[in-house]
Amino acid sequence: MTEKWRLLDTGLHDAFYNMALDEAIAIARSSNLVPNTLRFFRWEPSAVSIGYFQGMEDEIDIAACKERGIDYVRRRTGGGAVYHDKDGELTYSLILSEDHRLISSDFQETYRMLCSGLVSGLARLGIPAEFKPINDITVQGKKISGNAQTRGMNVVHQHGTILRKVEPSLMFTVLKVPSEKIRDKLIKSVEERVTSINAFLGREVSFEELKDALINGFEESFKVKLVQRQVLKFEQQLAAKLRAQKYDTREWNFKR
Amino acid sequence: MGKAEYKVMGGKLIKVQLTTKGKLINKIKITGDFFLHPEELIEELEKRLMGKSLNENILTQVIKDMMEKSNATLLGASPEDFARCIMMAGEKDD
Repeated sequence: MTEKWRLLDTGLHDAFYNMALDEAIAIARSSNLVPNTLRFFRWEPSAVSIGYFQGMEDEIDIAACKERGIDYVRRRTGGGAVYHDKDGELTYSLILSEDHRLISSDFQETYRMLCSGLVSGLARLGIPAEFKPINDITVQGKKISGNAQTRGMNVVHQHGTILRKVEPSLMFTVLKVPSEKIRDKLIKSVEERVTSINAFLGREVSFEELKDALINGFEESFKVKLVQRQVLKFEQQLAAKLRAQKYDTREWNFKR
Repeated sequence: MGKAEYKVMGGKLIKVQLTTKGKLINKIKITGDFFLHPEELIEELEKRLMGKSLNENILTQVIKDMMEKSNATLLGASPEDFARCIMMAGEKDD
């Protein structure tokens, strides 16, 4: 019988709740309250997330974020700063038991394995994507997805971003640049290094079409069946608590 | 205050900010887009580096020892890269 995983589509939430819910699901998984889970989510308002080890004020132009109503949050995972555009970007999380057959003790190998589901999903849309170590997925050398992983409590949590459409100039209004003089240069370099699903295919791919392709990709690559479910009450309550006590606090977001 | 950035070839970016007392590290902050597991170890590492001498071999060994003890993993950077960046920041401290 095919192994069943839970599929959650939690829609649009603010940055703090989104990060809190990821952690709440990991805790629920750790306590065996829920099965292995694939979650899709988006960000409203648009937000920037920074990696666990990054300095908030080093990476983010706080004043520019406030002016535009863009949230900023620290992730529980390492890696770089990401701009999550409400309409441009789909985010996923995989929350799996660490003893699952797909998980290796080697982090790099686990990135490759878990990203293979995304690669297979993108292939279904006609996008010849490939995994690029350490944690990226690229199409013809341009980045289309970035991913980050953490482990704890016998659970592996990998989340990542899939660019549906991209606007580098907007990205650089919220990310710090070393000097104004090189802002244009940086925007240009991102245009050369980053692509999106819409840009690559030359057509508008809806979030629904993208999610369907990814679901099929994950099912095929991982040999699992994804079953749509709701977030547990326990997870919702824990997420609300983690939002208030951790992800929406200055203490957490500015701790580095 | 000394500051340095070091981009690891084929890896990630490390940033170090430190102050020194004589030849010893006083306060240090290591940031960047690397991956360290478990994550909370970074704060412990920064504490462990306080009072250590600015010597690349010693620093590498301190970081390696701590990682081994905690069964930690670094991705996109190595203990040697961390030590290199700390030395660079130390040289810029005034």
